Amino acid sequence: MIPLRLRSECSRSLAPFVVRISYGAGNGENEASLSHEEPGLLDYQAKPGDFRVRGVTHEDITGDVLLIDPQRQIAHRLIRAASPHNTFLITEQCDQLCLMCSQPPKTHHEDMFAHFLTAAQLAPSAAQIGLSGGEPLLHKEALFGFIDAVAAKRSDLSFHILTNGQHFEISDLPWLRKHRSRLLWGVPIYSNVPAVHDEIVRKPGAFAQLSDNLSLLGLAGAALELRTVVMKQNATGLLRLADFISRHLPFAATWAIMQMERIGYGRMNWSRCFFDSSEDFTELGAAIDLMRARRQSVTLYNFPLCTVPTAFREHAAQSISDWKQKYLKDCEPCSMRSRCAGFFEWYREEDGFMGIHPQ
Amino acid sequence: MADRAFVDRYARDELNRFDTDFLVEMGQAFRHVGELPHTAFLTRWAQRQHVGGGSAYVILIPTLRCDLKCSYCQVSRAPVAAKGFDWDDETLAQVLTFLDALPVDEIQIEFQGGEPLLRLDHLKTVTEFARRRFQRVRFVVCTNLQTLDADILAFLANEDVLISTSLDGPHQLHTRNRTGTAELTQAFHRNLAQALDLIGPSRVSALPTIDMECPPKPEDLIAAYEDFGFTSLYLRPVNYQGFARKSHPSARTSQSWTAYYRNFVYTLISHNARTGRTMEEFYLAHCLRRILAPGADSHTDLRNPNIPTGTNAVIDFDGQIYPSDEARMLARIRQVDLSVGDVANGLDHEKLALIAPSHINNFDPDCIHCPYQPFCGTDPIDDLSRNGRIDIPRHESWFCQRHLAVFDLAVELLYSEDPAVDFSLCHWLGLETLPDALRPAIS
Repeated sequence: MIPLRLRSECSRSLAPFVVRISYGAGNGENEASLSHEEPGLLDYQAKPGDFRVRGVTHEDITGDVLLIDPQRQIAHRLIRAASPHNTFLITEQCDQLCLMCSQPPKTHHEDMFAHFLTAAQLAPSAAQIGLSGGEPLLHKEALFGFIDAVAAKRSDLSFHILTNGQHFEISDLPWLRKHRSRLLWGVPIYSNVPAVHDEIVRKPGAFAQLSDNLSLLGLAGAALELRTVVMKQNATGLLRLADFISRHLPFAATWAIMQMERIGYGRMNWSRCFFDSSEDFTELGAAIDLMRARRQSVTLYNFPLCTVPTAFREHAAQSISDWKQKYLKDCEPCSMRSRCAGFFEWYREEDGFMGIHPQ
Repeated sequence: MADRAFVDRYARDELNRFDTDFLVEMGQAFRHVGELPHTAFLTRWAQRQHVGGGSAYVILIPTLRCDLKCSYCQVSRAPVAAKGFDWDDETLAQVLTFLDALPVDEIQIEFQGGEPLLRLDHLKTVTEFARRRFQRVRFVVCTNLQTLDADILAFLANEDVLISTSLDGPHQLHTRNRTGTAELTQAFHRNLAQALDLIGPSRVSALPTIDMECPPKPEDLIAAYEDFGFTSLYLRPVNYQGFARKSHPSARTSQSWTAYYRNFVYTLISHNARTGRTMEEFYLAHCLRRILAPGADSHTDLRNPNIPTGTNAVIDFDGQIYPSDEARMLARIRQVDLSVGDVANGLDHEKLALIAPSHINNFDPDCIHCPYQPFCGTDPIDDLSRNGRIDIPRHESWFCQRHLAVFDLAVELLYSEDPAVDFSLCHWLGLETLPDALRPAIS
């Protein structure tokens, strides 16, 4: 696993600050340049304060944007320059309690937008940054303000925002239209049957709200990625959901069908929810066929290639972020490994896919 | 699909609650402006009207001369020794200037004739220019493949060059329609096999032109195509243009064609089910794709709207620009001059504007009542050719009759649930199974 938090040391009297690890002798406002190096230990100088980082090499983190937290003596790698998978955690609060949630909500919220704004300005050229939660739109005003501010300074950046789609209003239309080219909205939909969707997200009325708000995103011409985690609770309804999407969500740029992540509520509810698609791909295959016939894009996230019948493998993406991805021992001889999504770090073989077949 | 009782309730404005629920669920009705079914309908409607931009499709006629004299030739080709039927150097330069000015980075150029390979020199000049000018290029050489030499083979070996040729079916029929002698047909067969061997079946396509006075037996036609390893064929009726209108008066009406076409498709489906092979009839498969989804606009003759512009033009041997290949044929027989400019003086925008409205079916008083309107198109040039006018009732036009029959057949197959039919449909559509959701019904 790639560490996202590094052990760090600096004066506890400093306020938290954001810096970029400079390639050379950086002297910008937020550039940190290497002043001393010995095995397992790096010292950096920066205008906001000097600090030490342990456990990585200078090459590992060159170009990275770090949030130095003097209180906790931690450096958060907000942006890893070499990775396409960078996400800002906007909040851990959420108004839904999805059965399979990998990041269960917390009540406390710490506003980090000022740091995120600095970090975004230090991001590599044309980067796409994920904005996730919790539910980012619970802090909609601050979030929209942050995006406005980034857009004004770094028009090359784009954002992939994961939201439950519960918090849009008609008055957001002009804003959504203004930023449509730089925002991709990832919105979950678990079923076209309102009661089934509401039960999975454990919020009565969620589907009705989602339906109206997806309509708004359509009117805004927003880029929309629908996301459906396949579970025992909705697996038999995937074909009907596919039909619903092709008829009622034709403006969705893609539909991502996702396998569960065994962490958070996902771990707690694993045996109740995990649908072993390696044993039965029939409904998934029919749903994909329907989307193909309707010429709408469909993608499989978090499906190891060998669990997907050959005819549908072209839809499987290498979706698992680098820092939490792994392969199994069985995968070592597999010829498809370099194209395979692999497994989440916290995947367990004993209660996972029964049909893993290295090719 | 709905039964008669539903249609009656609909016509009398007596839909019941189940009817309305069904229509909303299917995305055919909505309850409030702004709700999801409404926004979805707006989107699907807009997707149907949007014919992809950014790419040009230009047909070039470097020569009208041809070394064959097919009975149904639609362009009234010139004899191979004739003078004055090729681009001269000035016209060639002007064609390149015209291409250079197109507002696109992607182009498909189709070389037609006459026999375009008689002017391989022009083809080389155009392809070399286009590869420099455009980011993405593709060339289709529409050739009779009667003559192949080392230079031609070297040209065809380029990855971005495709071949489209005519294979009318059994040897005797091909000879009757096209070559006139068995020797020439044999030469064509040898050359086709050589071309397939050289550049592979993915870059070679063939189509049979069907003369209804002497059509091939469907089984023989399928066999002729399978012999060469083709997996797709496109049945083309004799075009009522050029020479064809004199020698093939039966091409003017559609009845015999429709019966033949239906029988061919059902024969093909049984053949596929029996042999496990998956030959497709391109046009039917294409119409099926258009029914099921927007965006199936790869076939330039069936699009809606299909407004003529410089990016979908035909440039004739004399530098005249036409909106379509059929329009050039009408000019050639002096029925009506539908040229929309020439390469020396550029496009005639007044004329383009004049013919534009007839190239969209959305407002046609007949088409608006047709269930196939969103999938269909228009062909005012064909209407002019057959009827001398473009405003005859649609169902009296060949285009409408032909397409009603194709779409009727496509829907019949989609709803048939016969395993043999589903087998072919799945292969034509690239599916593993045919979901029932693709054939909703209310009664």
